[in-house]
Amino acid sequence: MCSISPFPVSDSLVMAKPRSLISASIPQTPPGIIMPPADGSGTGVMMDPIEYTLRKRLPRKLPKRRNDVYVNMKTDFRAQLARCQKLLEGGGHGEIRVHGLGLAINRAINIALQLQASSQGALQLAANTSTVELLDDMEPEDPDEAGEPMARSRNNSAIHIKVFYPDSQ
Amino acid sequence: MSTAKHRMRDKKMRNQPINVTYSSQGSSHWRNGGGTPTGRGHDLSPHPWGHGSSHSGHAQGGGWVRGHQREGHGGYPQALPTHITASAFAKARAAEVNAMLMAVTKTTGSSHVFGGLPKHMRRRAMSHNTKRLPCRLRDMANNMLEKSQKAGQKMKKEQSKSKSRKARRRHGNMLLEFNRRQRKNLWLETHIWHAKRFHVVKRWGYCLGDRPTYKCYRACYRAMSSHCLLQDMSYYCCVELQGPGEQLLAALSKLTSKETGPTFAAAMCVSGRRQGSVVVYRAGQYPLQPLGPVTFLWRPTTQGRGGQEDQGSQGSTHRQLWIWAHPTMKTDLLPELQAVCQCSEAVLPPAPVDLPVPQPAPTPTLAPGPGAGPEAAQTSGSGSKRKWSSREPEAAGPPAKKLLGYSTISATTPVTWRSSTTGIVISDLTMEMVRYRLIGPLSHSVLTETLAPATHTDATGKSRPSPFWWPDHCRDDCNMSLHQQQAGVFNMLRGVYSTAEVPAGSVLGLTVDDPRLTLPNKRSKAVSDIRKAQGVNEERRRELMLKGIPEPLSQSSLWDRSVRDNVTHNKMTDQEVNRLRNDVLVPGSRLPTPLQGRVPVLLVQQSGKSQGTEMGSWGAGWDLLLPKAWGMAFWVPLVYRGVRIGGLRMSLKHTQNKGEPHFPHDYPDCPAGARFQEEQEAELLAKFRRRPPAKRTNYIKHGCLAPFRCPWQQLVEEWELIVKEEEGGGGEDAVVPMEQEVTPPQSNFTVLRNRKSLRQLSAWCRPTSSKCQRARNPGSTPQLNRNVAASLLSSHGGSSLVWIRLSLVTKGQPEQHALVCVPTAEDLQLVRKEPGCTGPQEPLHTDHFKSRVKRPRKKDHNKPGTSSSSSAKQSDPASVPGVNPGPDPSSSSSLTNPSSSCTSAPSVNPDPSSSSSLTNPSSSCTSAPSVNPDPSSSSSLTNPSSSCTSAPSVNPDPSSSSSLTNPSSSCTSAPSVNPDPSSSSSLTNPSSSCTSALTLGLWPEPLPSVTSHCSRVTLGWVTQGDFSLSAGCGEALGLLSLTGLLHTLLRQPDGQRGLVLLRNPGSLQYRFAKINIEV
Repeated sequence: MCSISPFPVSDSLVMAKPRSLISASIPQTPPGIIMPPADGSGTGVMMDPIEYTLRKRLPRKLPKRRNDVYVNMKTDFRAQLARCQKLLEGGGHGEIRVHGLGLAINRAINIALQLQASSQGALQLAANTSTVELLDDMEPEDPDEAGEPMARSRNNSAIHIKVFYPDSQ
Repeated sequence: MSTAKHRMRDKKMRNQPINVTYSSQGSSHWRNGGGTPTGRGHDLSPHPWGHGSSHSGHAQGGGWVRGHQREGHGGYPQALPTHITASAFAKARAAEVNAMLMAVTKTTGSSHVFGGLPKHMRRRAMSHNTKRLPCRLRDMANNMLEKSQKAGQKMKKEQSKSKSRKARRRHGNMLLEFNRRQRKNLWLETHIWHAKRFHVVKRWGYCLGDRPTYKCYRACYRAMSSHCLLQDMSYYCCVELQGPGEQLLAALSKLTSKETGPTFAAAMCVSGRRQGSVVVYRAGQYPLQPLGPVTFLWRPTTQGRGGQEDQGSQGSTHRQLWIWAHPTMKTDLLPELQAVCQCSEAVLPPAPVDLPVPQPAPTPTLAPGPGAGPEAAQTSGSGSKRKWSSREPEAAGPPAKKLLGYSTISATTPVTWRSSTTGIVISDLTMEMVRYRLIGPLSHSVLTETLAPATHTDATGKSRPSPFWWPDHCRDDCNMSLHQQQAGVFNMLRGVYSTAEVPAGSVLGLTVDDPRLTLPNKRSKAVSDIRKAQGVNEERRRELMLKGIPEPLSQSSLWDRSVRDNVTHNKMTDQEVNRLRNDVLVPGSRLPTPLQGRVPVLLVQQSGKSQGTEMGSWGAGWDLLLPKAWGMAFWVPLVYRGVRIGGLRMSLKHTQNKGEPHFPHDYPDCPAGARFQEEQEAELLAKFRRRPPAKRTNYIKHGCLAPFRCPWQQLVEEWELIVKEEEGGGGEDAVVPMEQEVTPPQSNFTVLRNRKSLRQLSAWCRPTSSKCQRARNPGSTPQLNRNVAASLLSSHGGSSLVWIRLSLVTKGQPEQHALVCVPTAEDLQLVRKEPGCTGPQEPLHTDHFKSRVKRPRKKDHNKPGTSSSSSAKQSDPASVPGVNPGPDPSSSSSLTNPSSSCTSAPSVNPDPSSSSSLTNPSSSCTSAPSVNPDPSSSSSLTNPSSSCTSAPSVNPDPSSSSSLTNPSSSCTSAPSVNPDPSSSSSLTNPSSSCTSALTLGLWPEPLPSVTSHCSRVTLGWVTQGDFSLSAGCGEALGLLSLTGLLHTLLRQPDGQRGLVLLRNPGSLQYRFAKINIEV
């Protein structure tokens, strides 16, 4: 599986209260990027009485160079590691960038550290963090009553690790 | 000797002199005598000596023949004749020599000249150049060549038209020809484009591209998932409803139910900002009698449109609604709509008026026909066509006669219906608009590259009435500001990375320039280049993503019929565009936009995969709605942006990857779906029969009862019986099914579409031990137990089917009509022990019909054999089950594998019901397809014996007695089966009636029990299955019996819930698969 669609995806569940909704959603996103119960407090208040279905939209896709690796939780860890190694060794790139969002941050760090360890110190790491804005659609269960569908945004953390050979820089 | 051998021999001996037969034996002599004489009419008298043949004329006269030969040849077998009459003898020899010479000179066999040459002397070009042949054969070859040429000429002459090619290719004549050719099946505007590149099939009254002639399956998949795939969906029928908003909503609410999701009245759809989709039912029948899925679009009510439309004066409540439906559905949908809206009063189309129109008709490729499909024919259809053709003559160009073909339907067929009570007007807009579908994450890039928002005209200042709509439109400031906003939003799409980022179903109205003016020189791939769009305001983009396209921007002039007609009739021909291009000073620069080059369009976002958790929003895209006749003008520029083109097959794959049911394939409960199933069965059966019998799959041996269709009704009924039985045969329960079976007519099964129930089911289908289940909100989905399941079942009736997606656990590629079965407890243990195991095997079934199919002539030989074997079986059914062509096919088949099914059954199914269900139908079907030739005695014998032997062994429970009573009821469901064994066997016995319908490898019509035919109980069937490129494993979509599914789930251990077995119709291997129900 490619890193092109690294971030999963939509999920639906019924909830009674917004707060419980988010925590409930966590283990449910199967492949992985889990959003921490972000500050949903502001938006959550108004939607109590009606049941909503939550659908997460895909995170925004950014242009991808050949040496960008988006890490996900669906693909096997070893496969992703091997991909990175291949890119570093044969790809002709002096550096690669490993990106991870949400739950995949951990894995991105793991991959980067593994790469470094297996290179016997030849590789160096430089990490950046950022915040990614994600969108959720709230679809009312009873469409006729509830009027407009709502969308809201929440934030999630992401990490971008540059893995590079210092001499080539 | 068989007849074939006879024929061969006759052929061989055809040119032999008759009397040259050599035989040394009396017997062989006989044979020769039998062989030679057939056509020759000479005497057949046997000759004692092999060489002693006589010419026919002299047979009795003399020569060899001795006088007392007649008395028998036993007398002097070895004695030589004492004398020979020289003259007679010589005559006879002379005749033989003559005959021999004749035979030698005559050519034999197929007599192609080259056949006479040895292989190494044959040359490829011999048939053209006779000089390559040896001299002796040349004459003959020349003769043949001439003959064949003559024949060819004759054929050609017959085919050729009276006109010359030039005349035939003249534009007007071409049009006539095209019109003639689409009298039965209409062409889309892109038909000729497709016909050059696609396999075109005639379906639903249209000629549609099925699949390209080149290999592109994977390429098309890649296009869908990473770039853009284009399809022509113009064959979808549009029905327009106009009227007071409340009236419309009230009428339409009868057709839908809130339980299935958003309806016509959904707030976001009513505002016109979103497109909605809904499953339509017959009025007031909700869970029953669905018609099929439709998409709909409300025209937004904004003051902006008031400027153009006089309808605006009627008040804001006047609404306009488009309903898009599949052509097979239209025949059902239109009458239903007319009924709910009480629109019985057909409005006759206005008589054709001669109006001046600036342009002659576009070529038929562009405007193939207003029309209406054959189905549409009855309903209406071609008002559009009529109008079209009526306008044409005005053009002063082509005489009306040439346009005759456009109106395959009489001009008086109504397309509009009005209701005097409700004020609703229904009109059929079939073929009035072109609809293209772009699928893929980059479809918005393709659109932004292809289309350019219309440029303003300076004609605004002129304020002179013009024949074109755009200058008028421009005069209104509010229109202009709207247009600018729309153009702004459209340009903002450049800054979007994926089509899926736009809210699902958003609608954007737009007016664009003629895309032919900006056609690139070379075909290139459109890519999303965000840098180009850096200027786009980030805040506004975010707003767009979050809130969707604001309401007024969904307005478009495409909604106005007058504008549509104006644009259609004023379209520039390709020729004119090319002339413009020719006149441009700098080649390749942008063409000046002529006045008529503004086209109103509607862009509708299609949500991708919106259900389930995986592959979210896969296959999202945009639909492009255009006025009629502009199809090719937009098609080619789109193709030049590097899209792939898909046909019907790809749209099937699209929905399959999305996990959604495809209409009409996967809607067996809709009339259109049922029709489709019949057609498909006939098609598959014909294909099956075309294969040589030895190369066909024997589906009987594979234990597949219906490889070409899915008997849903029977499945549902049987599962109801099974469950009833298992519930202990309680008095009330036993009564209820009986009543149900009597009351409902045919096909009373429905597909479950209640979202709440589906959501519950979906939760139950997941293994509970996993995290997902734990995380599930306990309040929203009650835990699965008997009571909850029973309440769910009772609320939906037993005869429901559930739409599911199956993903295979290990390998395997599911096919259409694969069986979905319940795994036994042993299977589950097996998979727990080694998760990678392939799965159990179905033991080979025996084909009892084979003997009857193969030798229909030798009935008498067959009879004793079967009867004896059957009698043998009766005596000891269990001992010889495997070999036995017993009288009771299904019982023996369930017995055939005693090792697996019988022994396993009791242990596997601790509850007796399912095992009893195994035996149950077997006894019922004894009567039906029994091979038993002996009417009364044997069948009456077999029946009890089989039921007795099987029932107690499998079924230690006393409830089997109830199962014995059952067959009668199940029999009633199958039409021709008679519960009374003796009479039924006497019915089936005249095998001639039966055998005529028999096909080797297929079960004859009254099917035995479908659930319990195999060693695993059948739950349902797969309607589409393939290796899924998106999931990387085999995936199948299908329907299961709700009763059966709940029954199964209740009995499965928590950790393995939702695990089923899948088996292809042509295979014995079961594979494990997981059920997903996506809501």
